[in-house]
Amino acid sequence: MIERVQDRLSGRARWFDIIEVSGSSTPISFKNNRLHSITERHNTGFGVRVNVDGRTGFSYTNDGAALDDMAGRAMELSTWGDREDFELPAEAGTHFEPYDGAIDSFDVKSEIAAAEETIAAILARFPGATVDLGISRSTASSRIVNSSGIDASYRSSHYAASIGATLILDDGSRIEAAGTLSGLAPLDYRELRDEITGNIEAALTTRKSPSGRVPVVLSPRAAARIIGIVTSGLNAKSVYRGISPFAERRGSAVFNSALTLRDDPSMDSSPFSYPFDDEGVPAVKKRLVNRGVIETFITDLKHAKKLGLAAGGNGQRSYASLPYPSFSNIVIDPGIEPRNRMIEGIERGILVEQFIGLGQSNTLTGDFSANLELAYLIENGTITGRVKDCMLSDNLFHLLAGEIVLSAERKRIGSVLAPYIMLPAVNYTG
Amino acid sequence: MPGGMPMRDGIGDIVALARTLVTGCRCEYAEVRLSSSRGDSISLTGEQVESFSSGDTIGGSVRILNNGSWGFVSFNDPEAIESHFRRCIEISSSIGGRDRTRIRPYRAVKRHFDTPSQKHAGTVPLEEKFSLISGYNRILKSSPLVQTTRATYRDVVSRYAYLNSEGSEITYDRAYCGISLSSIARDGAVIQPYSESVSGYGGFEIAEGREETAERVAKTACDLLKAESPAGGTHRVVADQKLAGVFIHEAFGHLSEADFVHENERLKKMMVIGRQFGPDGLNVLDSGSLPGLAGYIPFDDEGVLPEETRLIKGGLLSGRLHSRETAEKMGEETTGNARAIGVARQPIVRMTNTYIENGPHNREEILQAAGDGIYAAGVIGGETNLEMFTFTSGYGYQIKHGRLGTMYRDIVLSGNVFTTLLNIEMIGNDRLMFGGLGGCGKGGQSPLPVSFGGPHLLIKDVLIGGAQ
Repeated sequence: MIERVQDRLSGRARWFDIIEVSGSSTPISFKNNRLHSITERHNTGFGVRVNVDGRTGFSYTNDGAALDDMAGRAMELSTWGDREDFELPAEAGTHFEPYDGAIDSFDVKSEIAAAEETIAAILARFPGATVDLGISRSTASSRIVNSSGIDASYRSSHYAASIGATLILDDGSRIEAAGTLSGLAPLDYRELRDEITGNIEAALTTRKSPSGRVPVVLSPRAAARIIGIVTSGLNAKSVYRGISPFAERRGSAVFNSALTLRDDPSMDSSPFSYPFDDEGVPAVKKRLVNRGVIETFITDLKHAKKLGLAAGGNGQRSYASLPYPSFSNIVIDPGIEPRNRMIEGIERGILVEQFIGLGQSNTLTGDFSANLELAYLIENGTITGRVKDCMLSDNLFHLLAGEIVLSAERKRIGSVLAPYIMLPAVNYTG
Repeated sequence: MPGGMPMRDGIGDIVALARTLVTGCRCEYAEVRLSSSRGDSISLTGEQVESFSSGDTIGGSVRILNNGSWGFVSFNDPEAIESHFRRCIEISSSIGGRDRTRIRPYRAVKRHFDTPSQKHAGTVPLEEKFSLISGYNRILKSSPLVQTTRATYRDVVSRYAYLNSEGSEITYDRAYCGISLSSIARDGAVIQPYSESVSGYGGFEIAEGREETAERVAKTACDLLKAESPAGGTHRVVADQKLAGVFIHEAFGHLSEADFVHENERLKKMMVIGRQFGPDGLNVLDSGSLPGLAGYIPFDDEGVLPEETRLIKGGLLSGRLHSRETAEKMGEETTGNARAIGVARQPIVRMTNTYIENGPHNREEILQAAGDGIYAAGVIGGETNLEMFTFTSGYGYQIKHGRLGTMYRDIVLSGNVFTTLLNIEMIGNDRLMFGGLGGCGKGGQSPLPVSFGGPHLLIKDVLIGGAQ
């Protein structure tokens, strides 16, 4: 079908590209300890971007019968587009596929059995708990065709299991522990289950801690979440708009030398990896922060041209939108301290597992302020209970510029591979 | 169709086929939802046209309750509905649930609805849409302190068809339109964004005449550069109408969604009808039947007509929001609150237009009574876990001896839902309602158009984040 659009646009546009994304998924959903629904989703969509006389227009559809109309509309809309003088790539590069054929071993009946076993194990430990559990299998294919000669496609597969367990105590207080595991093929998620029961167990006792500056350990999950405040400033679009705090700081040491941050589109077994981006640009590994020094920014073609950066495959989009700079897998390099020794060294501090309301603040400047949905008090090197109805408020950039310690252990939480991060003095309101 | 929609009607022919399928289905319940829509969207940032796009979307889904379990199939090739329907029966019967889901029946509804609009978005030339939003963008960047802006315009016109095995057949020609305006001011290392958004069901007129909003956005962003952060700790807070609305939506509204409660014995005991949730003067409602507002629905995505539901009456819990499933499980009436962000998603219990009713006090009396505290206005964002909440207000002021003083920014309010509701001391008489292009997120479905509102509120002992 794309060929028809190609014919229609050839010779009429300075350049064009067409993206076709199609996929299907099977989410199985358990709610309140029991199977609630099985879903199947199918969708295919097309997006076309044209550059006419230097101006870009865009249109999309998921209706195969409306493709001609889509191409015509993209041409019409280019009248209002910005002048854009970048060129499209001619080569999408060498291929790998974030795809594992073992995704076909996904079997609804055995997944249901495994999920029921997981729920039963959590309920055996906490009879009053309610568990929501979701399992999903999806496969997709992406195809890019452009006027420079690219016609490239790849398959992807994605398996994800997410568990959320809630326990309401006699005093009405609520413990909610949750986590997600993802990969290219069906996974055993017993470890995730044990982590969740462990997190609830540790939260059964509530402890109080006075307000003030305290050492804080961020779990990989909390670290993966909070690092978004940094990575949003490493995006070429924010840099170009003049709202990145790092815009004029390429080459300078902004953070402690313990911090190295990468974008890695080729990470093994991650469903967030890809061979080339949604503009057909080969995706390469890049270091964004090297031992505390800002090295480069992630970018799409448009902002690469505007800022004189090298495009490394970070132009992402759905079929229904224009590309924008976006991370593949974010990697925080590990430290050497074992996680346990990090906690053992703390006389009185907080271990954060899950924030609530993080990112609602004015994070452009690094300021954050968030309630702690699940966090623990560390006393004399041991976790002694949960702290609740309390907040952490500080400036993340200042904290990461100061003394920080990273653990040797790391976990991939969604698309972020993160260690435990210890910040020696964070402002805590209890 | 109003104004004559330019798109091809991709679902009209399918309706008859869908009717045969749902009425012939021998499962407990079956429904088909179909939609075909066209949307235009313009996003300007600073001097740039970030995107100007237009697209057609078609889609459908089948949901079947079979032997007490739900099967759901979504697709974008409605012409293949027969095979999707068969597949849905197949997957729903592949599992025999131990606990069976039952749902509340509802009367057959056969109706057609139209969004009333003065200037149907489908008939307004692209040129006019572009020039309107460009005008706002010029205002947004009118101060030299403004580093960059974003002005977004969006409209969607769609035809929606709903059919179920009870004999309901509802069609809806829907038009939604809105804008979102933001300015980001910068002074050295201080970067301060501020934004506002307006949306609702109707035509292009919703987006027109918003110059004052654009002016306010630019001015507030610039003023915030000089604002201070409040001291962390516990404060008396006066919330403006918008913050009051977000508070009631986030902190209480989600708790009243029965899917959180219906299978949880302990929560059921906490959310027992008649329990005191707030002061005597506190009345909270949800109503999907208020035309024009962003949360307006003539019928929900299970074919149920919306009710006005009193959630809190005189401070006491008096109702909750239901889908057919939760209503049946709890032995209560349906309220018409099963909603999905699109036909490709399953309906879940959601709010519509949620608000606190007016009380007796004017703003001046409330400020006087506050004495010393914080006036918090608008909202940047919020999150709740049904017990604790955190949200950030757009801007605010110190209150000293009942008068507004120094401007504040980064006011992050946090607390326990139950105690904070009980800590409401005064309720104003100046309720306003707010929508916007953003919306509510739940269960991976975001953004769902909703509106919220309330009058000014005085709340004691609110935890504010920040250095002591």
